Amino acid sequence: MLQLITDGLIVGSVIALGAIGVTLTYSLLRFANFAHGELLTWGAYLTLTFLGVFMTVSGGGVMQPIGPFSFGWQLLAGLLVAAILTALIALAVERLVFARLRRKGTAIVLVIASFGVALALRNLVMFTYGGIPEYYSREIQIAIRVLPRDVWGGIRITPDQLFVLGLTAVTVLCLHLFLTRTTMGKAMRATSENPDLARVTGIDVEAVIRLTWIIGAMLAAVAGAFAGLTVQVRPGLGLDLLLPLFAAAILGGIGSVYGAVLGGLIVGLGESLSVPLFGAEYRAATAFLLLIGILLLRPTGIFGERP
Amino acid sequence: MTAALTCQDIVAGYEPGLSIVKGATISVATGEIFAIFGPNGAGKSTLVKAIAGLVPVTGGSVYLGETDITQLPAHRMVHQGLAFVPQTENIFANLTVVENLDLAAAIMKVDRKRRLPELEALFPDLARLRGLKAGRLSGGQRQMLACARALVSRPRVLILDEPSAGLSPKLVEVVFSRLREVRDSGVTIVLVEQNVKAALAIADRVAVLVDGRERLQAAAADLRDPVVLADIYFGHARQVSA
Repeated sequence: MLQLITDGLIVGSVIALGAIGVTLTYSLLRFANFAHGELLTWGAYLTLTFLGVFMTVSGGGVMQPIGPFSFGWQLLAGLLVAAILTALIALAVERLVFARLRRKGTAIVLVIASFGVALALRNLVMFTYGGIPEYYSREIQIAIRVLPRDVWGGIRITPDQLFVLGLTAVTVLCLHLFLTRTTMGKAMRATSENPDLARVTGIDVEAVIRLTWIIGAMLAAVAGAFAGLTVQVRPGLGLDLLLPLFAAAILGGIGSVYGAVLGGLIVGLGESLSVPLFGAEYRAATAFLLLIGILLLRPTGIFGERP
Repeated sequence: MTAALTCQDIVAGYEPGLSIVKGATISVATGEIFAIFGPNGAGKSTLVKAIAGLVPVTGGSVYLGETDITQLPAHRMVHQGLAFVPQTENIFANLTVVENLDLAAAIMKVDRKRRLPELEALFPDLARLRGLKAGRLSGGQRQMLACARALVSRPRVLILDEPSAGLSPKLVEVVFSRLREVRDSGVTIVLVEQNVKAALAIADRVAVLVDGRERLQAAAADLRDPVVLADIYFGHARQVSA
């Protein structure tokens, strides 16, 4: 039981990071961006690319793992570069597609356009990297026993999974501090609440929109890399996570960063706990069921405000 | 007296080719309270939103003092000295009272330690409500906060869209007396109002807008006659000396 909860939290932390981007984009631009999953995929692949670059530069194409982890500094450096490049992709898409359509079209136009952007980005990944799954490291990780087997079945966890959990917590804490303590963070909250009032308060709403894309895309890149680290890197990575991302964002209350985090963890736990009940093949359906349940019982989500 | 705000033949509307303001011209002198009246649908709110940069201006020009601000983005106008208080949703409901003011101060790079006490002296209720979520304020308190937020940047011109909307007569009196104090501190005020009687009591000059065009600009004192007031609301323009 505890093992299932632990696995659920690990999956949930990846979903949470991705869902933050979905909820930020929705709350500010008022449309569901179905291309967000592809930013996770691009983040994962760009990390792979720059992992290779840094491994080559640092000598012999070999990665020396840090401590008990399966990866070395090259992966972290690669992730940093990938996050920046993913943000640039998001900004390019915003400038070339969404900003133009926003001036003329309604939200539904943007939603449909996001499907087109998703297709384009996914196929570009296939074209660039091919369809064969890749791994950041082929090191075999030995799971650490955190709790003995006689305590509710015990917990075993790999160092990489612990790293993912820890870095997710740190990232969410940093985002919380940014949103509550900095002028730009407060400007983001104000703009998501009322863009026109933000404008007449002196806030450059276009700059806030750009920043939102940057933050959402960087978190997506981190989530994608974490998914790649704990499972594998493949072109369908983002597409497979898209529904859980939206389920998490809606469950938490669209527009709420903390809701997205909580929603992500709940969806992750739901997926994990459903395995012994229905079998692993129905795991992905759990997000669907949760989404339907949420929409029926509390359409505004946990932290969403009733209209 | 020099003009603080001049609008020349303004054409504006939400959709291309569908103008709501169809060539309005107003001139607001420095240090005065200027009220804009007119029947429902006359384009009063659209005019002030267009001046504030929230509705596209497709014709004419807007000058703040000597500066042409017609095509400036709304946030840049604030930095030029133009503040706007919308009729509804004029505070950030999810931020606290003090966060509303702090945000405006930080964005406008105003020394909050000096400015916030000044504003709390002008609107004393806000001092005791500092930590409260703005969404929980009453109508009058919201209006005070909205005015205070707009005044953080020490604007030259403050535009208010129906500040009396939804307020009891007593609160209207309080809000309008505060506006008079704001004017006395050197801020030029433009207000759109349906409450003609209350607005005439504090306004120096008035414009009447009918079907997107100004029909009349006059001294407020000349419009305190109920017959003239009735004319305004039936849309008959009457020549009154400015």
